Amino acid sequence: MSSSFRTLMSSGVKVKLLFFAKARELVGVTETGLVVPNGLYTQKKLLSIIVETFPVLCSIQGNFIVALNEECMDQSQSIELKEGDQLAVIPPLSGG
Amino acid sequence: MMGLQEEEFQMPNFKQLLEEKDSEIMRLKTLLTKYVPKSELDQMSNSHPSTKIAASTATLESPENLCSQLSKEDVARYSRQLILPDFGVGGQQKLKKASVLIVGAGGLGCPAAIYLAAAGVGTIGVVDYDSVELSNLHRQILHKEHGVGTPKSLSIILAVSSLNSSVKCVSHHVLLKSNNAEEVISQYDIIIDATDNVASRYLLNDACVLLKKPLISGSALRFEGQLTVYNFDGGPCYRCIHPSPPPPETVTNCSDGGVLGVVPGTIGCLQALEAIKIAAGLGSSFSGKLLLFDGKEGSFRKITLRSKQKTCSLCGDNPVISKLIDYEQFCGASPTDKTETLHLLDDCSRLTCQEYKQLKEDSSPHLLIDVRPPEEVAICRLPNSVNVPFSKVEDPIEVEKIRNYIQKLDNKNKQVFFICRRGNNSQRAVQLLEPKLADLNVILRDIRGGIQAWAEEVDTAFPIY
Ligand SMILES: [Zn+2]
Repeated sequence: MSSSFRTLMSSGVKVKLLFFAKARELVGVTETGLVVPNGLYTQKKLLSIIVETFPVLCSIQGNFIVALNEECMDQSQSIELKEGDQLAVIPPLSGG
Repeated sequence: MMGLQEEEFQMPNFKQLLEEKDSEIMRLKTLLTKYVPKSELDQMSNSHPSTKIAASTATLESPENLCSQLSKEDVARYSRQLILPDFGVGGQQKLKKASVLIVGAGGLGCPAAIYLAAAGVGTIGVVDYDSVELSNLHRQILHKEHGVGTPKSLSIILAVSSLNSSVKCVSHHVLLKSNNAEEVISQYDIIIDATDNVASRYLLNDACVLLKKPLISGSALRFEGQLTVYNFDGGPCYRCIHPSPPPPETVTNCSDGGVLGVVPGTIGCLQALEAIKIAAGLGSSFSGKLLLFDGKEGSFRKITLRSKQKTCSLCGDNPVISKLIDYEQFCGASPTDKTETLHLLDDCSRLTCQEYKQLKEDSSPHLLIDVRPPEEVAICRLPNSVNVPFSKVEDPIEVEKIRNYIQKLDNKNKQVFFICRRGNNSQRAVQLLEPKLADLNVILRDIRGGIQAWAEEVDTAFPIY
């Protein structure tokens, strides 16, 4: 976790991050907690926070979707994260 | 009604009852068509299965014709789904007229095919270019031991026809590509993506958008499965959700990542279910939705996807893709799930299995590092090898371990060899470790083709997985 986030941990919102498919393989866990600063978030900003916190996801940046409480956001939408919100990092699976 | 008259001796009361109900339905139908506009009538027939028959008889000359479309045998075979509210005779007849194409006769395609056949889908097409291998049988459940080496599409046809001989099953023993996909796909109403690679997924998506076909897409790896219905009912296409393919080196296939057979089995069954619902006019539960199945956790999550994108390069307002493209080029990977063979090292940094065998026979002192994951090492390994998994090869603790091993070797002849499953990671390991071990004056080399080549070229009793 980058230092800029660690310093904000006390004043932020704690959300749950869920990893699927390749993201799970790269990060090495199924889920984890993450504290993010209060404020409004766009899809783009959420994506960059996730990749900044887990740089190992860089290799698939742009190839996964992020769902907030099981719903994908529209690009223009801004939302405020609440305590306990679930953010799912979902790359496509291609095997069969 | 003809079909029922045949059973008159068994159930005279039912016959009379049915005739009464029929005339009642006809009377109501006449009233409805007189007083209710046709559009509203269609809507009613969709939401109320009981009025569906009445409405559909309006287009037929007499009620007798309706029953004659399902034979006595069909009625008996499909009775449990015929009496199902929301499905019924109308659904069965639609299934019988429907044609579904399954692309991929593997872990997803097998269960999908057999359930579609069981349900009575009129025509099932199967596309696959592969032959059955022993390593397929744990998940591709329609293939048989005695069928190893024979075309996969053929074993599906055999299984389907022995379950339901009234289903027309067509084998397409081709590798689906840009130049033949539209010809095959255009013959079918509904397409099931049961493939195992990225290039085929984009190809199928593009062809289905161009030909206006619903695409039921399933995938599976390890304990996880995914399912979405694309290009249906105003929903998004695959490119709306995933505009660009992942870098090929980040894509894990079943051969490298592993998969538990029941996982694609579960997704394949759900693909069949969606195909049946779409064919029967019941719509789909996964248009614009993504099912995430986690077999280890036992969880099903349903994610709402972004809607169809105006900016989509294929189905958007200003599409730039108007015909199929080169998907191998677009994805940087061939339309198979085979692992590509890399050539990262110079020939002088590589050793063949035969050369390594000779070196062992000469008792030449050396260190053999097996960089496969411990799960694979547990299956089979070469004697006197040490295991440093590739994922940890740069870990300072592991590097120190390797340094210690090397320092124990005979001073004059410090040879270090790396081996993996197929000879790709062993080359990568040499590249990663060369700078870290440069001070030790050692030669790092990899064994070409890995454990698999050893099994094929040196020790044929050695297992291949
Ligand atoms: Zn689209």
